[in-house]
Amino acid sequence: MHRIEVDAEIDILDIDKRLAAENRDFLKKHGITAINIMGATGSGKTLLIEKTADTLIDKVKIGAILGDVIGKADYERVVRRRVKAEIINTGKECHLDAHMIHHAIEKFDDVDLLFMENVGNLICPVDFDLGEDYRVVMVSVTEGDDVIEKHPEIFRLADVIIINKVALAHAVEANVNKMIEDARNLNAIAKIIRMDLKKNIGFNEWLEWLEEALSRSK
Amino acid sequence: MSFTQAIIENVLKLAEEKGAKKVSKVVVELGDLLLINPEQLGFCFQVLSCGTIAEGATLEIKFVKPHIECPICGKHHSYPVAICECGGIVKVEGGKDIIIKRVEMEV
Ligand SMILES: Nc1nc2c(ncn2[C@@H]2O[C@H](COP(=O)(O)OP(=O)(O)OP(=O)(O)O)[C@@H](O)[C@H]2O)c(=O)[nH]1
Ligand SMILES: [Mg+2]
Ligand SMILES: [Zn+2]
Repeated sequence: MHRIEVDAEIDILDIDKRLAAENRDFLKKHGITAINIMGATGSGKTLLIEKTADTLIDKVKIGAILGDVIGKADYERVVRRRVKAEIINTGKECHLDAHMIHHAIEKFDDVDLLFMENVGNLICPVDFDLGEDYRVVMVSVTEGDDVIEKHPEIFRLADVIIINKVALAHAVEANVNKMIEDARNLNAIAKIIRMDLKKNIGFNEWLEWLEEALSRSK
Repeated sequence: MSFTQAIIENVLKLAEEKGAKKVSKVVVELGDLLLINPEQLGFCFQVLSCGTIAEGATLEIKFVKPHIECPICGKHHSYPVAICECGGIVKVEGGKDIIIKRVEMEV
């Protein structure tokens, strides 16, 4: 036996990149606007999809792929809103990836808008491109006003940053202006929305952004 | 973790192609901006390589920094700030890859 050294140069993420590109081609071919919604657990991701459907479902065909470690509660919530949905139970993986989306995407060829609700956390989903057009990151004030500065990478790569449940800010002693400033320091171009889905704050701003995004993929 | 699994699968495939009996060392480049904990990667590598010819191999991790530059004034930044002192929007490239650079094996 003797020892050899092999120069390899193998890109481990190559398959992920390829599958994400294929997803992107599929979405583009069918004129679908795809949005990867990431965020902390319980920050309001599913409620945002529900409320969006309540407003737009008569003029926009909406689909949703829901990533969850287990369970199908989110699925039932959106289906009630006439959203075409599919659940992906990720099991021990704490994020969606392009491969899972690749399997699920085919049945959504007739939608105009596809939400991909990622598993609720601010770390694992970051490194996985799903083939989406836009990345939306949602946090709420109840996670503490340092939640943005503690997770720089996900906010750096976001297209839209939503700070939800702002009506509760006083009760949980969260400084929303600090959160917005943190977001701006990490990301110079993202749209930042101050929101409260229960009090209808910032929702119109979201709809305006969304309608613009939809018209861009037409 | 799935990254570690992919590293091992690729290493074993390469080792098989070369007819190796044992893998002694794997050198991996890891982008600085990936949210991967190197200790966890090392631990998963140990666990997942058990019972394969890569069992007991050393995993050497080299970190690769992203290229962070302001397109307006040309300043290089050491970490990904959004806006440069000059007001320019800073561009960040790289720092997001996992590459197997080199594998040492016994043939
Ligand atoms: N007070 C208040 N509650 C909200 C708001 N938005 C969402 N909620 C509530 O917060 C809880 C979690 O909302 P979801 O929409 O399930 O959050 P999610 O991000 O989808 O959660 P996971 O899928 O579990 O990660 C629900 O009880 C919502 O009704 C808000 O703006 N204000
Ligand atoms: Mg949800
Ligand atoms: Zn500059």
